[in-house]
Amino acid sequence: MEQVNSITIDISGQICPSCLLLTLKELNQHAAAVRSGDTEIVVTTDDRQATATIPDAVNKMGYAAEVTRVDAGYRIRVCAKR
Amino acid sequence: MVESPFLLIAATSAAAGLTAGFVMHRSDFCVTAMFRDLFLVGDFFLLRMLVLLVVVSMVAFELGRAGGMLTPYPFPLLGPGSLATLIGGLVFGIGMVLAGGCVVGTLYKLGAGSMISAVAFLGLLAGSALYAEWHPWWSAFARATALGPALTLPQWLDVAPALLILPLAAVGAAYLYRCRRRGLLTRPAYAAGHIPPWQAALILAAVGFVSWLFIGMPLGITTSYAKLGASVEALFWPGHVAGLAYFQALGLNYTPPFATEPVSGGAGPQLDAIAAIQYPLIVGIILGAAVSALQVREWRLHWRIPPRHYASALLGGLLLGAGARMVPGCNIWHLWGGLPILAVQSLLFLLGILPGAWIGGKLLTRYVVR
Repeated sequence: MEQVNSITIDISGQICPSCLLLTLKELNQHAAAVRSGDTEIVVTTDDRQATATIPDAVNKMGYAAEVTRVDAGYRIRVCAKR
Repeated sequence: MVESPFLLIAATSAAAGLTAGFVMHRSDFCVTAMFRDLFLVGDFFLLRMLVLLVVVSMVAFELGRAGGMLTPYPFPLLGPGSLATLIGGLVFGIGMVLAGGCVVGTLYKLGAGSMISAVAFLGLLAGSALYAEWHPWWSAFARATALGPALTLPQWLDVAPALLILPLAAVGAAYLYRCRRRGLLTRPAYAAGHIPPWQAALILAAVGFVSWLFIGMPLGITTSYAKLGASVEALFWPGHVAGLAYFQALGLNYTPPFATEPVSGGAGPQLDAIAAIQYPLIVGIILGAAVSALQVREWRLHWRIPPRHYASALLGGLLLGAGARMVPGCNIWHLWGGLPILAVQSLLFLLGILPGAWIGGKLLTRYVVR
């Protein structure tokens, strides 16, 4: 299986909407790599709103997002659409 | 304060707060995000939820007024619109974005364990109390720039409220129907126990109606921020607090529904009608959100965050508190209560927070979220 490079960021507790803005910033910086499937961005957050806004925003940009529950928050994985 | 009018008021207020806090946390019904995200990322989704809340409230309040259920009408504490309201709205708009939540958003986020919101809350208390220092000349400025004695647009135009409110509500309903057909009123959500924001809008409109029905006015809390701030200030400088005109004034004088005697209240530290109406609401929202967060096992304190976030929350809180007193009134009071009856102050407040949210977004992305 091909090795995927993960960029992980923890945005717990920060002022809203840090989670969405910092994820989009990271995504824009690594757009080509994420689009090619080499890289994924993994965000850990306690921001409930981001679990709706990030998938919505990245879907519109042509990426996929996957939300899973972790401990007292969420992990949002942003990657290429299959 | 044991007479029945206060008991009914406090009980209604606490129930409204618990419901609103729980629902707002579960659905992330953040009024700040409604305006901020419009400018920051071009996202209209949450703003549509505000349109839904306002349109439903327009119809409900108008039917309630026509049926004689909502008294007094318009509700107390509304004043004439002025340039002061517009400027206050602008300050409020900047503050809510920098604080990461409005006066109610700060409460429900605080209830769910947000340290940022705890700092914003302290800023809110301080900003609200500090306003008393310049209240005399600010109220003179408001009087000098007042648009006229009319409290609502129908009063100003001298038409029956229904003639203006119901057609506008119909336009809003047609817009919402179109949004619904295009699937723009819902979006996938993955948070535990999530309540769709459109359901939250309906519940919050109902809470506002119940508040007016039993208390005599829709939801509002910011006078109590000044009151709480004054109470803390009075512990250190009692003489100074006692000498400030703003804390002496009793701006609220009305006879609540189901009461026979008038009640009064103001921003001073005393326990009065304002305290009976707003303190249970504040405590209710915090507790409602805390219960919601505990239930989905998401209550946790996060305090290791960049210091500039704390600075932003404190400054935002100060601006929010001061802005709300300058208007006077907050976004919940004006957008959920005043806008549905086309209160002039509320319309001017809305005009003010739009550029305020835009400026706040610029400041936030330049200096805070980097």
